[in-house]
Amino acid sequence: MKQMRKKSSIDRQNTRNGLLFCSPVLMGLLVFTLYPVISSLYYSFCDYPMLKPPVWVGLSNYRALFADPIFYTSLYNTAFYAAFATPLGIIVAFVLALLLNQKVKGMAIFRTMFFVPSIVPMVAGSVLWLWLLNPQYGLINAVLGAMHLPQFRWMADPAQAKPALIVMSTWGIGGWMLIYLAGLQDVPQELYEASEMDGASAWQRMWHVTVPFMSPHLFFTLVMGFIGAAQYFTQAFVMTNGQGGPVDSTRFFSLYLFQNAFMYWKMGYACAMAWILFIVILLFTTLLFKTSARYVYYGGEK
Amino acid sequence: MRRAVGVLLLFCILIAGCGAREHTNTSESVVDVTVWHPWGGVQKEKFDKVVEAFNKCHPRIRVHSLFTPNDLSNNQKFFTAVAAQKPPDAIFVDGQQTAAWAAQGALEPLDKWLRRDGVSCEDYFAPCWDQNEYEGKAWALTFCADPNFAFVWNKKAFREVGLDPEKPPRTIEEVDRYNDILTKRSGDKIIRMGIIPWAQFGNANSIFTWGWAFGGSFYDPGSHKVTADNPDVEKALKWMVSYARRYDVTKINAFSSGFGSRDQNPFYIGIVAMECLHISQIEDIREYAPNLDYGITYIPAPAGGEQHSSWVGGWCLAVPKGSKHPEAAWEFIRWCCREPKGTEAVGKIQGLFPGYRRSPYFDTIRNKPGYGQFLQILQECRHQRPVMPAQAFYMNSLDGAVDYAIYGRMSPREALRKAGAETQRELDLRLAGR
Repeated sequence: MKQMRKKSSIDRQNTRNGLLFCSPVLMGLLVFTLYPVISSLYYSFCDYPMLKPPVWVGLSNYRALFADPIFYTSLYNTAFYAAFATPLGIIVAFVLALLLNQKVKGMAIFRTMFFVPSIVPMVAGSVLWLWLLNPQYGLINAVLGAMHLPQFRWMADPAQAKPALIVMSTWGIGGWMLIYLAGLQDVPQELYEASEMDGASAWQRMWHVTVPFMSPHLFFTLVMGFIGAAQYFTQAFVMTNGQGGPVDSTRFFSLYLFQNAFMYWKMGYACAMAWILFIVILLFTTLLFKTSARYVYYGGEK
Repeated sequence: MRRAVGVLLLFCILIAGCGAREHTNTSESVVDVTVWHPWGGVQKEKFDKVVEAFNKCHPRIRVHSLFTPNDLSNNQKFFTAVAAQKPPDAIFVDGQQTAAWAAQGALEPLDKWLRRDGVSCEDYFAPCWDQNEYEGKAWALTFCADPNFAFVWNKKAFREVGLDPEKPPRTIEEVDRYNDILTKRSGDKIIRMGIIPWAQFGNANSIFTWGWAFGGSFYDPGSHKVTADNPDVEKALKWMVSYARRYDVTKINAFSSGFGSRDQNPFYIGIVAMECLHISQIEDIREYAPNLDYGITYIPAPAGGEQHSSWVGGWCLAVPKGSKHPEAAWEFIRWCCREPKGTEAVGKIQGLFPGYRRSPYFDTIRNKPGYGQFLQILQECRHQRPVMPAQAFYMNSLDGAVDYAIYGRMSPREALRKAGAETQRELDLRLAGR
């Protein structure tokens, strides 16, 4: 009896010490994450120009948002970007990973080459791409022209600005490629051998062995890619001087949110936008997870 | 256990360190004043020299300058500092921001000091004073007056196509005619444009510039009405759109997307033959394109428009709400913006025009090429951008309106109506105290 009490007091002491050791992180989480999240929910129901105290206005921010045409434009732009950039990124990264998984001399160099762009800071990368995409002096159009292919006006044309950004997004997929490369090492070699013996073609092996084993990795990047695309901001901000032009074609949701918050000081409005974005992301990722059982295979499952 | 306490203690110290206090004065007699300015690079060094000159003749005040970016739609650091009740003692505010900052309670009115020290609107070029007066109070003094803009033309290009290099266009019709002659194409691409009407420091500044030149107006302060759909502004936008139609806007913007400042400035390198010029570019050209043969004149206007039209821009100095040393800050502001000696220092060191109209600086540049013309433009200047709390919003709305119009998504009338209506809505909210 006595011993048990002693033990529990040690336990309690350990718990307390443990919490104390964790306290910097816990405090950080509470003060810098939980508090801003909760307060942003509160502010989304307020008029809050930052220098004056917030005034409760109920649902008026949300009502104004749903009557705001630019809100829908920005939502459409973001959906468009996410719908094309995410799958494109996954496909390109996957193909690259397959290629870089071959046993060729100097592979380390190739891998590094394709990974390096993803560690270039986003702002620097955007400025660089502004020049690559330059319709008159840019490298991309020069190459297209040399191959007698049609040239594009990219960011100068509202119809081509989003596609330009989508093309550009494939530049930063080094991280995903790395995930796939790691995943490819884990595909059991004996399955390849077995399927080869059964007469499976390279395409069949890839489709029935590689892809199923890679599906958790693909799923992970799909979810993260979607979340990233929904919050797409930096490149559009840098490349259009914070305007989202031409003709609002690159005014993405987060960019419009930023403009409301830090150009017009409509913090309440911006908070309402943030919560709508949060709910959209939440719904979509829930949907992805709910349906994932159908297309994601974890080793050992039937 | 002891270690755990140690960690906690360390953490507390870290937290305490975050609230670092600024150093307090040891000597009672000298007041330390901080001023946040918007300049980097060379202008920063020049401004620091102005500060130095002030400090030299004011032994009891020591001004410290700090660069904080202000991208004209906002100064985030400043607003957070005011919200946290830790603002600088003096702040640079762009003329078109003053009303919004004042309405939001970020600034202290200057009237008591103006009265005490006998500073009045008579001392300033009218638009320089007007841009800082909101709801009957003065909130800032103009530090530099930018006469926006001068019109420049490339004499070499004029000669090349057989135009008289000494005769710049005076009317919009002449601009159109010269543009036709000056514009050069090669296949699908534009090699040189005469002028790109919407590329005068952004869409919004372009529509302001041409809108006023066409005789339009953008805002009625008496009734707080946004008048973007003014018929003359519409005419100006229609004129801008005519270029977009004639040359295909995506083609022009493909041409202009390689433009930059300094050694990539299209006028300096001769691929745009006519444009509006900002006063700071005189020095720029001397440094980056010393051989450029160009002339400076007034902005052309159509018949029935406003001749010699221009508007004033530029930085102003204000006292933030919660300034710890407002008196000393005011002393610095008054010296820079109103004292003969101070305004002369600003002019001579920074190469900027003071807003103070009797500054001795003007006597030194009256006959200096370029500056003399800019001074004439400033003396005839009649406009400043609308003084109202939704000006940043208005700028963005107009920016969008020009975009929608030149890309043919809306007619000029529709685009301006939309910009006017949404700005009015925003303004009404702000005026209602929200």
